[in-house]
Amino acid sequence: MDRDTGEAAARVLVADDEEDIRLLVTLAVRKAGCTVVAAVADGPQALAAARAEGPDLVVLDVSMPGATGLEVCAALRQDPVTAGCRVLLLSAGASPDDVARGLAAGADAYLPKPFTVAGLVEQVRRLVTVGSRA
Amino acid sequence: MTAAPPRPATPSQPVPLPLTAAVHRPHSRVLPLGLAVGTVAALGVLLLRPPAPVVALAVALVLGAVLELTRRLRGQLAAAEELEAQRLELVSRGRSTADELEVATRMMRARAQTMTSVIDAVTEQSIIGTDPDGLIRVWNPGAERMLGLPRADVVRTRSITDFHAPEELSPEGAPGTPAERFAALVQGAREHGSDVRDWTYLTADGRRLTVSVAITPRTDDDGEQAGWNFVGTDMTEARAAERLKDQFVSLISHELRTPLSSILGYLELVMDDEEQPLTDEQRQYLSTVERNAQRLLRLVGDLLFTAQVDAGRFTLQPEDVDLAGIVRAAEETARVTAAARGVTVSVEAPDTGPVVRGDALRLGQACDNLVSNAVKFTPGGGRVTLRLRRAWRHEDGAVGERQVPGARPVALLSVSDTGVGIPSGEQGQLFTSFFRASTARRNAVPGVGLGLTITKAITTAHGGSLDVTSVEGRGTTFTLTLPLDGVPAA
Repeated sequence: MDRDTGEAAARVLVADDEEDIRLLVTLAVRKAGCTVVAAVADGPQALAAARAEGPDLVVLDVSMPGATGLEVCAALRQDPVTAGCRVLLLSAGASPDDVARGLAAGADAYLPKPFTVAGLVEQVRRLVTVGSRA
Repeated sequence: MTAAPPRPATPSQPVPLPLTAAVHRPHSRVLPLGLAVGTVAALGVLLLRPPAPVVALAVALVLGAVLELTRRLRGQLAAAEELEAQRLELVSRGRSTADELEVATRMMRARAQTMTSVIDAVTEQSIIGTDPDGLIRVWNPGAERMLGLPRADVVRTRSITDFHAPEELSPEGAPGTPAERFAALVQGAREHGSDVRDWTYLTADGRRLTVSVAITPRTDDDGEQAGWNFVGTDMTEARAAERLKDQFVSLISHELRTPLSSILGYLELVMDDEEQPLTDEQRQYLSTVERNAQRLLRLVGDLLFTAQVDAGRFTLQPEDVDLAGIVRAAEETARVTAAARGVTVSVEAPDTGPVVRGDALRLGQACDNLVSNAVKFTPGGGRVTLRLRRAWRHEDGAVGERQVPGARPVALLSVSDTGVGIPSGEQGQLFTSFFRASTARRNAVPGVGLGLTITKAITTAHGGSLDVTSVEGRGTTFTLTLPLDGVPAA
């Protein structure tokens, strides 16, 4: 999928401890026309990569070793370097409470697992189009 | 002239104090001195044989004295009798008070014995009574068993706080004085009149028990605070089981959903790849894979949902829901499966409404469950009918078409089938988790027995009810009754 010519593709960081899901998310992000700047497997790596790359969007699994997606999300919001990036949380927990916790941690959107590839592509496109947080 | 009304002496009239002396000597012969002297003088005159007029005067004097004496004696006698009656009554009153006291004492003793034997009979719960400062006064066999110390070792010597995990009685972290620790223990009961919560008890051999303790103040006969009661149930195993169940549920949530995410995600990539289209045969096979993965996913969702309901952690997202839309969507969902089985599904519902305040997703799930059950349990050539109408729930709970005073509007959503039916003896167990009717097992109808449990839980959470009528071999009707005028508990 190609982006409009002359405009740089949005830069996306993917973090999920499950290798198969990490690849699936990476494929979906590329389908949405974005560049995957890094695909990492735990919370601390996600935080380090976000600080190094300054991505437009971070797709975060909630349940990860080291630091959960919720913790990473909260830390991203604290750091001026990453405070403006968009965050999409993915989680196997799908109850209203889980969604509320995710949004309270500062996420822009929340997608329960299992997600459809089409649904993920749509969310990624939407989030990178609205621009960075003020 | 009118006679003065007689004044009957009543026992309640106060007895003049000077007369009480006479009570002790009722037959006293003491006479007024003047009267005695006059009488003696008159008798002397008579003995000296004086002339007739003098004799007559003396006789009159003697007679007068005797009459006066008689009158006074009679008066004193009456007063004495009255006083004697009062005395007897007082004595009998005193005696009956003594009798009553003895009866009361005997009853009290019997009651105390009953209480003691009841408390001693409790061996699975600890019953501990303390004075207002926490010093142990009552220690039943349940407490002996739970905490491992005999009554004699604790009563009047130990404080209840000795058996509590100290960190739970020191919210600030500092150990605090014994009085502060006890105050922390009874704070909830002091504020709310009673308090039930889990505390950690420390046993004599150093084990830690999770105990649900009901704390209540104890008052004496004057209503004064006499101490505190602590009734405890050991919940250590039950709480451990609950924790295990929670862990299991979250394990399922993660460990089953994650592989299913991969299966469904990669299937989608393959099936939707426009650059490398599948052959019809490949598409058919992969559709079967997808259908079964979806079935597994639904099962995982049902198990999780049942666990949430059991744990009381099930919440609704209330909004206005058009039930006609729910019914039509359920028919649409079931259409393909029903057609494949040769079962006709029809809908009898108004174009729009009725509208209930509820969780659209959950109400849809409840309706889908009923329809998919009906299709599963109906042989080919049969019919499944979805009906939606308004009705009134009367004050006695009956549901009817007519609006009578006090009736509340309800929506009736019923799903009828011409299927195998449910034996009447099994209808009461239908809403129990994992229960499967004998007709389901006999006809090899697939399922695990969670659909109706979930449907019932959703209905109850919306303030409604779920009823069933069924005749074996003829068919079954499930009716969901939902209130139209109340906001369900969210």
